Amino acid sequence: MFEHTPLTLAAAGASGAWVWDIVQDSLHVDARFAKLYGLDPAEALEGLPSGTFFKAIHPADRPRIRIAVAGIVAGAELFSKEFRVITPDGSVLWMHGRGQSHFDQQDNPVRFTGLFVDVTERKRTEERLRVAQTAGGIGTFEYIDGYATVTVSEEFCRLLGLHPAQVLPVQTINSIVAENEQPLIPEPRGGNVPTELDAVFQITRADNGSERWIARRGEIVREGSGYRLIGVIYDVTAAKQQEAVLRELNDTLEHRVEQEVAIRQKAEDTLRQAYKMEAIGQLTGGIAHDFNNLLMAISSSLALLEKRIPSDPDTVRLIRNAQQGATRGAALTQRMLAFARRQDLTPEPVDIAALVKGIADLIERTLGPAWPIELGFPDALPPVFADSNQLEMALLNLSVNARDAMPDGGVIHVAAEERTVAAGEITDLAAGHYVMLSVIDAGIGMDDDTLLRATDPFFTTKGVGKGTGLGLSMIHGLARQLKGTFILRSALQEGTKAELWLPATDRNPITKPAPASLAPAVGAGDKMTILAVDDDGLILMNTATMLEDLGHKVFEAYSGETALEILQAHPEIDLIITDQAMPNMMGTQLAERVALDRPEIPVILATGYGDLPDNAPLRMTKLNKPFDQAMLAKALDNARSPRTLAKQPE
Amino acid sequence: MIPDSVLLSDLERDALTEIVNIGVSRAASSLRKMINDQVLLSVPSIEVVSQRRAARLISEREVTDLIAVRQDFTGPFSGRALLIFPETNSLELVRAVVGGNFTVQEVIDMEHEALAETGNIILNSCLATMANMLKRSLTMTLPEVLRGSGASLFEVTATSEGLVLFLYIDFAVRNLDIRGYIAMILDIPSLETLKELLDEFIERVVGEDL
Repeated sequence: MFEHTPLTLAAAGASGAWVWDIVQDSLHVDARFAKLYGLDPAEALEGLPSGTFFKAIHPADRPRIRIAVAGIVAGAELFSKEFRVITPDGSVLWMHGRGQSHFDQQDNPVRFTGLFVDVTERKRTEERLRVAQTAGGIGTFEYIDGYATVTVSEEFCRLLGLHPAQVLPVQTINSIVAENEQPLIPEPRGGNVPTELDAVFQITRADNGSERWIARRGEIVREGSGYRLIGVIYDVTAAKQQEAVLRELNDTLEHRVEQEVAIRQKAEDTLRQAYKMEAIGQLTGGIAHDFNNLLMAISSSLALLEKRIPSDPDTVRLIRNAQQGATRGAALTQRMLAFARRQDLTPEPVDIAALVKGIADLIERTLGPAWPIELGFPDALPPVFADSNQLEMALLNLSVNARDAMPDGGVIHVAAEERTVAAGEITDLAAGHYVMLSVIDAGIGMDDDTLLRATDPFFTTKGVGKGTGLGLSMIHGLARQLKGTFILRSALQEGTKAELWLPATDRNPITKPAPASLAPAVGAGDKMTILAVDDDGLILMNTATMLEDLGHKVFEAYSGETALEILQAHPEIDLIITDQAMPNMMGTQLAERVALDRPEIPVILATGYGDLPDNAPLRMTKLNKPFDQAMLAKALDNARSPRTLAKQPE
Repeated sequence: MIPDSVLLSDLERDALTEIVNIGVSRAASSLRKMINDQVLLSVPSIEVVSQRRAARLISEREVTDLIAVRQDFTGPFSGRALLIFPETNSLELVRAVVGGNFTVQEVIDMEHEALAETGNIILNSCLATMANMLKRSLTMTLPEVLRGSGASLFEVTATSEGLVLFLYIDFAVRNLDIRGYIAMILDIPSLETLKELLDEFIERVVGEDL
């Protein structure tokens, strides 16, 4: 039967051959087919039911092969299908079935013949190639010189945004490449054999129009007078973009370095300035401390001197002059400490309008008749949280500056208004409600340079002896300490506006009690035995003298250690007054030691610093240096009264 | 977007491909008798695409203008069938069909007639086989020859909503390989009907192996 078909010749390399008798509806197969299907060779040759054809075909492939054969039986001519066959030992082989239908004179199909070719290896290779292409994003192509079409893979089409196809016209592929590029596939009959395939192309994808970069690699195979190109393409857009970014970075490197250096220089300048300020602050604090001690010695000595020498108006005047000098010196140290932020502020709710009205007279008198003050306050202004003494000083200071800016006289405006500030709106200010107190003059103003340095400590434009250069820096320090800020706005010949921003508070202002009588209640208390401690001999002597003058018995100690020894030896000691800043043992440390052995003994801490620890024992009374005899007496009273706590109202 | 109701499954696609294969086989047989030489026709694959996409597909694959034979059909499913060749191939096809005893001018003169006749044989066979296999009947109009771009042949407009059954056809006449396309433009209800009929056909053929 097989000799009737030319297929037997081709079947030499095949895995089986069949003849399907459509008229008889029977299937005849050769020995290889029978072996593949596990059929008896003799029966198989003789004839089996035609449905046997589908028996060994993988169930998943069976429906489509049935459909294909139905086509043949109904009149289709060619059969060419790939499907899996399950062999008797259970292994799965990929077969390519190729067949043809034979017709009778009336065009009715009578026979369907064909053969199987084992394509398992090819299928696996194809599968590997397909995975390699999709996983690696690599598309393959093959082009034979002279043809108008290119054999391509699906991935090739995907990379260019074309519909999947096996063959594409050269022109379609090249139309995707940017105009100024060489063609991706050489144009047909271009004449020249390309020397190499390695190249990168810019393309516009056919589907979405996006710009991509595609690399081409491959080999050129010479065939006779022509050639064949076998190659791959892949997307290199990411690499190209990175390259572009790198190039851009490189090109702008110099500029960016300059920018960076400028930023760094500015930061360094700012830092240097900050260091300078810090150093000045430290220095000022230290000097002020020593000043305080000296002024205290002078002041208390003068006070005692005044008491002891015979009353003579001239002498008293001289002594009072000296006292005034010492007082002004003390005020200066207060300013310096405020600048160094070491002086305690006593912030409390303050009614600014009332405060300004209260001091306006004084200011006007200080300034002189050519500089009237004009006030501008709204009816209702929330109180601010501030230290009223410092605020008065600041106002005075700003007014003096305003006067000095208008040598020929002029009105000075002092105004205040409530302002709401958003976060980040004004440097240094947190979001919230503020009261802005401003002092405005129409004077000579400041140039930018001066304005920039105006709040630097010791910077002054005034003649030698006219200003300390501490005024504005002190106000700035005050504002910052109160969580506000100080802003100067000025231009040459356009006057100056000094703005002091202070946080508004909803607490009611405290009405200050009338100042207590300055006359000390000397001798009012019992006579006590007091231990005075100070590392500065001058101060110690002064303190002791003042105490003795008040009628107390005094022991003197130059250090905390000595103090403890004396205390041990003299249980009759009623009270201790000690300096805070001492080497080895600080005043507070001494107080703690005393509290261990003699908790009933009150301790007065004399300090020029504002940095008394927050956890200082409650029964400690604080005494600000410099102090005079009256202050000392008051501190003694406070210390002895068990309900009087902590700090003096100063 | 192509609605799910007209998306063909793999088996439905296979079935339609085979049915069209039967049709083109019959056409090949007719052509063989007509020109008394070898003619092989086969349809390797089929796709359902939108009209717009069909126009793009063909313009990606064919860079020259196209020539087409068009016939409309009505029945349980109605639409328009097109047999499309690249214009450059049409004269070769005509020369192959009419044989080698004519001058170029004579071939050009016969082109229109020969194409219409060839197209009519192929499209008629395909549609008649479809009707026959799906156990329905179709009425067809006379063939018309058209030239133009993919977009004009598929009548792509902003509102084109029809779908296209797009078939590749391998045409071998007197050892000359010519590639062409069969396209059937159907509206969605017609395609849904066709899909139902294909399912019936599959049920009949595959039976218990489904």
